Amino acid sequence: MGGEFNLRRKPGIRPRIVLSYPDAYEVGISNPGLQILYELVNDRTPAAAERAYCPLPDMADLMRARGVRLWSLESAEPVAACDLWGFTLPHELACTNVLEMLDLAGVPLHAAERGEGDPIVMGGGPAVADPWPLAAFFDAFFIGEVEGRMAAIVEALGAQTRAERLANLAAVPGVWLPHAAQAGPVERQVFTDFACTPPVERPLVPLVEAVHDRVVIEVMRGCTAGCRFCQAGIWYRPVRERPVDMVVAAAERALAATGYDEVSLVSLSSCDYSGIDEAVRRIRALRPGIRVSLPSLRIDSAATSLAGLAAEQRGSVTLAPEAATQELRERLNKRVDEAQFDEAVRAVFSGGFTGLKLYFMIGLPGESDDDVVGIAAMAAAAARRAKEIARGRARLSVSVSSYVPKPHTPFELEPFAGEATLRRRQALLREAMPRHVRLSLHHLESSLVEATLARGGPGADRLVEDAWRRGARFDSWTEHFDEAAWRGAAAAAGLALGDPAGEGAPWGETGSMAPWHAIVDARVTPAFLEEERRRAAERATTADCRDGVCVSCGVCGAGVEMEVLA
Amino acid sequence: MRTWLVSFARRGPARYLSHLDTLRAVQRTFARAGVELELSQGMRPKPRLSLPLPLPVGAAADDELALARVTDAAPSARDGLLALQAASPGGLDVIALRESPLRARPQPLRARYACEVRGDAGAVAAAVGAFEEGEPPRVVRRGPKGTKTVDLRRSAGAVSCRATPGGAHLEFEVRYDAGTAARPQEVIEVIADKAGIEPVLHRLRRVEVVFAEAARAQHAPTQRSATT
Ligand code: SF4
Repeated sequence: MGGEFNLRRKPGIRPRIVLSYPDAYEVGISNPGLQILYELVNDRTPAAAERAYCPLPDMADLMRARGVRLWSLESAEPVAACDLWGFTLPHELACTNVLEMLDLAGVPLHAAERGEGDPIVMGGGPAVADPWPLAAFFDAFFIGEVEGRMAAIVEALGAQTRAERLANLAAVPGVWLPHAAQAGPVERQVFTDFACTPPVERPLVPLVEAVHDRVVIEVMRGCTAGCRFCQAGIWYRPVRERPVDMVVAAAERALAATGYDEVSLVSLSSCDYSGIDEAVRRIRALRPGIRVSLPSLRIDSAATSLAGLAAEQRGSVTLAPEAATQELRERLNKRVDEAQFDEAVRAVFSGGFTGLKLYFMIGLPGESDDDVVGIAAMAAAAARRAKEIARGRARLSVSVSSYVPKPHTPFELEPFAGEATLRRRQALLREAMPRHVRLSLHHLESSLVEATLARGGPGADRLVEDAWRRGARFDSWTEHFDEAAWRGAAAAAGLALGDPAGEGAPWGETGSMAPWHAIVDARVTPAFLEEERRRAAERATTADCRDGVCVSCGVCGAGVEMEVLA
Repeated sequence: MRTWLVSFARRGPARYLSHLDTLRAVQRTFARAGVELELSQGMRPKPRLSLPLPLPVGAAADDELALARVTDAAPSARDGLLALQAASPGGLDVIALRESPLRARPQPLRARYACEVRGDAGAVAAAVGAFEEGEPPRVVRRGPKGTKTVDLRRSAGAVSCRATPGGAHLEFEVRYDAGTAARPQEVIEVIADKAGIEPVLHRLRRVEVVFAEAARAQHAPTQRSATT
């Protein structure tokens, strides 16, 4: 679409950087990471940042039929003519869309085939925790938070030749060039000025309805609650909090710049933000009718958080117990018990909220069928509360996804539950779930693809390319997911969908060093991951380091430290 | 409570907005300009803003009208115009603003459309002739409430056609006060079909809309920016 409010145009400026989120415009426009980079490059560096998203299949087919190349929304110039094409890689299911976009732009798919006139294609974002599934297609990856290194990247692009530009980029901390000899793993970059840098204040506001139509203010980065399945909890360590004054001032400016009347205070766990109550109160007082929302609630403090919401915001609430039994929650390091859950559920229904959604995972390490049936029991208990307190005025729904072990987490070497087990447990759940509770189960086949790619090794990129050539794209969209393409590509690679792709897999069984550790140093020590895995097996919980005790994960030190408001 | 009649143009990618998206973009422009809109009564109050004649998706427009009820705290028409112009997104250009005593939504009388088509200009001219004379051009619309046959000539009478390099420029008026109105894309599709060419809707433009006399009467002087 383009034409958004707060669009920046810098015609004729070099370097010209195109930023992409490999999904449809309606999804990508709401991505906060891209909004950060767009504002940063355009407003605080001499470069121009433009954008391109992935055209939906019907549009892509039409573009191919008519020979139209992918263009950027700001200048309508071909993406292929930019200096740097930066992709925010959100998850494994966006991999084929990267190939789709490269192809639509007319940029050679393989980095090795690119020459002087081609852009440098660079990937960043959470999915680079393991870059192997995309290694062949990128000239460079940025590992970690890029804000502190953007100026250096822009400067690196000033060199005359492509080879010089790549050599300059290699010298920027956090950059990995998959096609150059580079010693040792690249250390994940932490944006140490996060707390003293204001959040995005002039975000792009789409003219069409987007996934999130509200001001987004990142109040905090990092979460040290220590859930053992959570990659983001490792990837964004340590916790850094922005001062409340900065948050409120940014919200005020962003409200004026966007015309929105809702502010979402986001982070991995906004209820843990030390200034949350004050920030919510002061933002609501900015002018009448301003609403403040929190994307996630902690079960142990939900009652307090819900009480702070305005009457007109009493819509639906999501709580994430993740697992239904105390034993399994302890394995995951989810420190909530049944009584706390019951208190949160009561708070939802007695507070006049219209719906409650419970989020769980199945396929977790150490899980039994009883744990899965326990989800239905927990839902039934919540349904009883709904009947007793809300008297049929509130809806209850349960959403269950399939757990995929992720690199750099304590469960990184745990086996994936696999198709047969997940299918059986989904059936168990369907059967056990009370009929009046709405159950939604995550699309199983996409979880299999996610599992295949999440812990991919060298050569996993060949599988991605094969799947794309067979027609896979928009893999996270159920309506576009092409199961035959993925099954065919996996079979051709000698894999069952769900097995990790790449040479030498599976890593857990052979005990060989997992291939992502050869590239990415996520800053947590192997000893910490190992210790957490051991504690999980023993059902021992680990405290949140923001509560005072450092558990020596290895992230802090050398200028990186936790910054929590006094 | 005061009423503002705001004229604006829709160009560039903004022409692909739906009616609701256009309405939302205008509403957001008011919010960014710091001009408060009155809210409707009821359970779910909505800002009192309307676009009296929805634009087809894909059509550009030179002079559209938005009717806004603003609170008494709103600035003067002159300052309001400047604030809206500064706050509008590229592609929705605010051209003029006037205060009006109108309470009701103005009724459109007629609108003029222009369109470029690619193909043999002679064939297009012949198709226009056939559209204007002979068997009345009709389209059948199917909706949830059944089918409806619309006589295009009754509301879109005369079509002017002039040859351009590689095609033809068409212009016609659609009347909105004579029963079910023709949709401009229907007129173009019928002519394109008769001429054996592809209808090119992305070149459709609404040049002017004329509202019932009440819309024009009794209004305060129009604030029009010097640049537009
Ligand atoms: S090093 Fe200690 S304080 Fe820093 S994030 Fe890890 S556990 Fe927390």
